[in-house]
Amino acid sequence: MYGFITWLESTGVSTALRNTTWVWPTCESIHFIGLTMLIGAAGFFDLRLMGFMRRVPIAAAKSFMPYGIAGFALNLVTGTLFFVMRPSMYAFSAAWWAKVFFIILAGLNAMLFETTLGARVLTLGPGEAPPTSFKIVGCVSLLSWFAVLYFGRMLPYIGTGN
Amino acid sequence: MLQRLQDSAFSMWVVGSDSLWSYPTILTLHTVGLAIIVGAAFVIDLRVLGIGRDVPVQQMRKVFGFFWTGFAVNLASGLVLFAVDAVHKAGQPVFLVKLTLIAVAIVITARIRRIAFGTAADGTSTPGDARSLAVASLVLWAAAIIAGRLMAYL
Repeated sequence: MYGFITWLESTGVSTALRNTTWVWPTCESIHFIGLTMLIGAAGFFDLRLMGFMRRVPIAAAKSFMPYGIAGFALNLVTGTLFFVMRPSMYAFSAAWWAKVFFIILAGLNAMLFETTLGARVLTLGPGEAPPTSFKIVGCVSLLSWFAVLYFGRMLPYIGTGN
Repeated sequence: MLQRLQDSAFSMWVVGSDSLWSYPTILTLHTVGLAIIVGAAFVIDLRVLGIGRDVPVQQMRKVFGFFWTGFAVNLASGLVLFAVDAVHKAGQPVFLVKLTLIAVAIVITARIRRIAFGTAADGTSTPGDARSLAVASLVLWAAAIIAGRLMAYL
């Protein structure tokens, strides 16, 4: 892996992006905007799955999700650019690996929900108590996204090996 | 005054301590609060613009509770982040721009609460001026985030 990181950092793309003055701050701004879109939309849906705001039909709570996914897409693109610009800063950071772990956990959790439990979503009317499986999925999702935010923001401070 | 604030024992601990619980945690709390405030505003604005029409108006009022909770977190964490670097930040134009954007965005969110989610609102129709306020809110919060991020560079 060390070889790959050194190679990536030395490529023309990585060097050019890194040395273009406003690329990094611009990507950071977009990354922060994207995270609010994701946490807003996913947070609302997760809270409903957990059993809060029961008067909201689950299908209606889900209608914000495409905008949350758009936020995630923004962050995947800008996040990839950060990695391309400074791969060694991330690849050797424990906080970054923790962040990636929680992104994957949140992703698998959402896939599990969509493929197995999701079909029951539309049949659940307003006021009905969600099944325990929904509560677990919502809770795992909400905690995972805040863990992603936590390890992202703490990245300069923890697990850098210094 | 700003210098004394910055030199206080508390400020010194926040920036001087090696503990993860000092500056890094306060900075992270500020980002958590940001996600809650702007995340809530995002959902509110989308609802005004016609997304999630089946979410009842009374239930949407709960989202404003999250909005104000996030705001309280960021007012508190923001005051600390200001205190530890008061002299520099007070003279930073982009910081004053950020505060102005936030102030206007807050006023707009409160207005949206009144005209689109007030007691008279039944959710079947959204007043036209609420829609323009929702668009303004989205733009202002994005601009406030950009201004906040640029404080590290300008």
